[in-house]
Amino acid sequence: MIAQTVAGRPDIPDDPPPAGAPVLELRDISKTYPDARALSGVSFVLRRHQMLGLVGENGAGKSTLLSIINGTVRPDTGSIAINGQAVRFGHPTEAARNGIATVFQEQGLIPTLPVFENIFLGREQKFTIAGGLRRRAMIAEARSVLDELQVDVAPTALTGSLSFGERQLVEIAKAFALGRIYPVEPIILLDEPTSALSDNEAAKLFDGIRRWRARASFVLVSHRLSDVFAACDEVVALKDGQVVDQRPIGSIDETGLHELIVGRQRNDAYYREASQREPASAIVLRAAGLAKPGHLRGVSLALREGEILGVAGVLGSGKSTLARIVAGAEAQSDGDVVVAGARLRRGSRRDAIRHGIGFVPAERTVAGIIGTDTVDWNLTLPNLKQIALGVLGLVSSRRSRALTLEWMQRLKVRAPGPSAACRTLSGGNQQKIVFAKWLARGVRILVLDDPGRGLDVGAKEDIYSLMREIADAGAAVLLVSDNLPELIGLSNRIMVLRDGAVSAVVEAPRDAKPREVDVVSAML
Amino acid sequence: MADRPASAVKTMGDLDLRTIILPLVAIVVLIAYFTYINPLFFSSANALNIGRQSAVLLMVALAGTVVILIGSIDLSVGALVTLAGILAALTVDRFGVPGAILTGVGVGALVGLINGSLVTMLRVPSFLVTLGMLSILSGVTNQISQGQSILFMDSLLPDIVNGSVVLGVPNVIWFALIATAVLTVVAFRTKLGRYLYALGGGEIVAAHAGVPVTFYKILAFVLAGAICGLAGVMLTGQVGAGTPTAGGSLLLNSIAAVVMGGTALSGGIGGPHRTFLGVLVIAILTNGMDVTEVNSFTQDIVKGVVIILAVSLTIDRSKYLFIK
Repeated sequence: MIAQTVAGRPDIPDDPPPAGAPVLELRDISKTYPDARALSGVSFVLRRHQMLGLVGENGAGKSTLLSIINGTVRPDTGSIAINGQAVRFGHPTEAARNGIATVFQEQGLIPTLPVFENIFLGREQKFTIAGGLRRRAMIAEARSVLDELQVDVAPTALTGSLSFGERQLVEIAKAFALGRIYPVEPIILLDEPTSALSDNEAAKLFDGIRRWRARASFVLVSHRLSDVFAACDEVVALKDGQVVDQRPIGSIDETGLHELIVGRQRNDAYYREASQREPASAIVLRAAGLAKPGHLRGVSLALREGEILGVAGVLGSGKSTLARIVAGAEAQSDGDVVVAGARLRRGSRRDAIRHGIGFVPAERTVAGIIGTDTVDWNLTLPNLKQIALGVLGLVSSRRSRALTLEWMQRLKVRAPGPSAACRTLSGGNQQKIVFAKWLARGVRILVLDDPGRGLDVGAKEDIYSLMREIADAGAAVLLVSDNLPELIGLSNRIMVLRDGAVSAVVEAPRDAKPREVDVVSAML
Repeated sequence: MADRPASAVKTMGDLDLRTIILPLVAIVVLIAYFTYINPLFFSSANALNIGRQSAVLLMVALAGTVVILIGSIDLSVGALVTLAGILAALTVDRFGVPGAILTGVGVGALVGLINGSLVTMLRVPSFLVTLGMLSILSGVTNQISQGQSILFMDSLLPDIVNGSVVLGVPNVIWFALIATAVLTVVAFRTKLGRYLYALGGGEIVAAHAGVPVTFYKILAFVLAGAICGLAGVMLTGQVGAGTPTAGGSLLLNSIAAVVMGGTALSGGIGGPHRTFLGVLVIAILTNGMDVTEVNSFTQDIVKGVVIILAVSLTIDRSKYLFIK
């Protein structure tokens, strides 16, 4: 079955050998960031030849955990052992020397280099001779690695010319090449490897991995639970930075796994559920057949006065694209957004603002606030008309500050004053400024893309009660979020997106909130 | 703190404080040093000298500031001043001073329009667009002038520029000071100004706030071009002829002044009032080295060292993922 084998290396058998001794052990790993606690007391064991699935919601701590294993992030406490030996990585190269390789979502290959150079990037020492590189030896070695894995890619091909799927395979080959340089068997961390692959490519990838398990052990992080069931023999569920369970894949079904992932108590006080109002009947915004190739396939919605409409979906479901299109920050290829009988110009924030649509984008520091500007300059950016004076229409610093102070007090923004640089504020206070920017304009519609992302509990609570007040005042809110309890707690209705289309609409009235499982099952 | 009078001061934390103190300290130290070496340095006559020598530089640096504020750069400023100066010398006898000014400013604005359009529509980095424009403008200038100075008969233009109406200070200095004041007001008190800062500080944020990004980026280049055009006319009036080499040192000195003043090359921080300080540093340094008879080659070396030093002290490294 394998055309060419390398001397001293046996053929790879079709079925992986049974799991062996532990190769990677995590004990009591904790990590706290200034804004939030990412991981607390995480322990799990990966055995030789195993494929271990790591599942959890966005923000459950999967990425942090991978970063700790591959040496890019140092844990606050806890220990890691590889093949029974305690290790402590100060740098990713040290992890690599121990055989740990990561295949990232955003690939770590340099597109302008040929495949073989990427495979040995940073590890050329084996091929140096008097300061020069033995190119031919590198190519031969790369070819033998690719052949061994049955990856049909020429080592001299330009990496950028390969398909995404092929590049993914090269990434894995790169991980295996580690074993040619350091005397270790690789432990390969796969971070959402199928998110950009077609079903066919994904099947091929997992087929390969099945065979390669004779030579390596894998950790798989994936949103697609079907991947986990297809490829893994054990699964670790993470929730809020803690391991909920580690169990063999055969002992659990998809519903059970859903429950493991979300299983937590929702705190209704946190989301001010008691004060949730019934939306009025008047529709303030309507969208019909919104489509954008590769992102959205015909999504329609109606937003009523005083309503909070939640949008749920996994990464890549198109929920962020939907928010951006409704807000005019991105142009759709088909469909319309209609406000008060007027069709909005596609991809025009200006037109959307003219029709009273405020937008709180997901990337706060890049798209929400200008860190180098003061609080008042940020808040008044879309409100300069309000603070202009006289015939020349010069901006009044006094009115600028007064307007800012008013909103800082109303939203309880903690900052030294209107002239503090925005970047010196905490994430929660920055987010309040982004809200204030639009509230000061008196918008009737607010599009929120993950407004609680990266905020601590207290700041989230403030933002949640703010959203309640906004809806109470009769504005309509489109709330896109990764955080299910937040969506369920805050929304009147939840629209679930899957692969760019609406897969379910779940009602969430005050006294009959849906369970997370009801929403999750439509997401996956 | 809200009661503080309307002012052009943005409080930006430590870095900001450092960038405003640095040029001030430099100015005091330089004045003290040059006065110690040559007491004649510290005189009103020499102060006016410094003003005359740096008025055009200040105009050009202001133009550069407008573009640098949005995070772009305009390398064609010096070449544009030269061309506008030549054209002013060619037109002043026929169309009078208003005609010369109109020509200079018009050509400047047109060049700015082309620069800005190429940057925004074709999405070519401003560094390359304006580098190409620098070469084009130099070529055009030399074609027109054949490398010769252009003389003219008109005496009104030199009189307006070099005469002094108020306080015995040459008008050219007043022009530059007025330009600084006007641009500072524009920067802080108008929509245009606030949009310029927003574009430099966070283009996506500005776009999400409904700022017509392309329009204002082009406008920044047009404004810079028009100011350079005016500076060219002033320079021709000052010299009394249009000279094809007049703008030679302006590009380097203006960028040095902008950066020294604390306007970040990454955009969004600084402003015209800062550039005024930066120009003072460069002007005092240049004049002081002349007065203390430092040879011109050594002057270049000193200036280079000062620029690198200033940037290394003021640059906001958090805005760069990599330093390339």
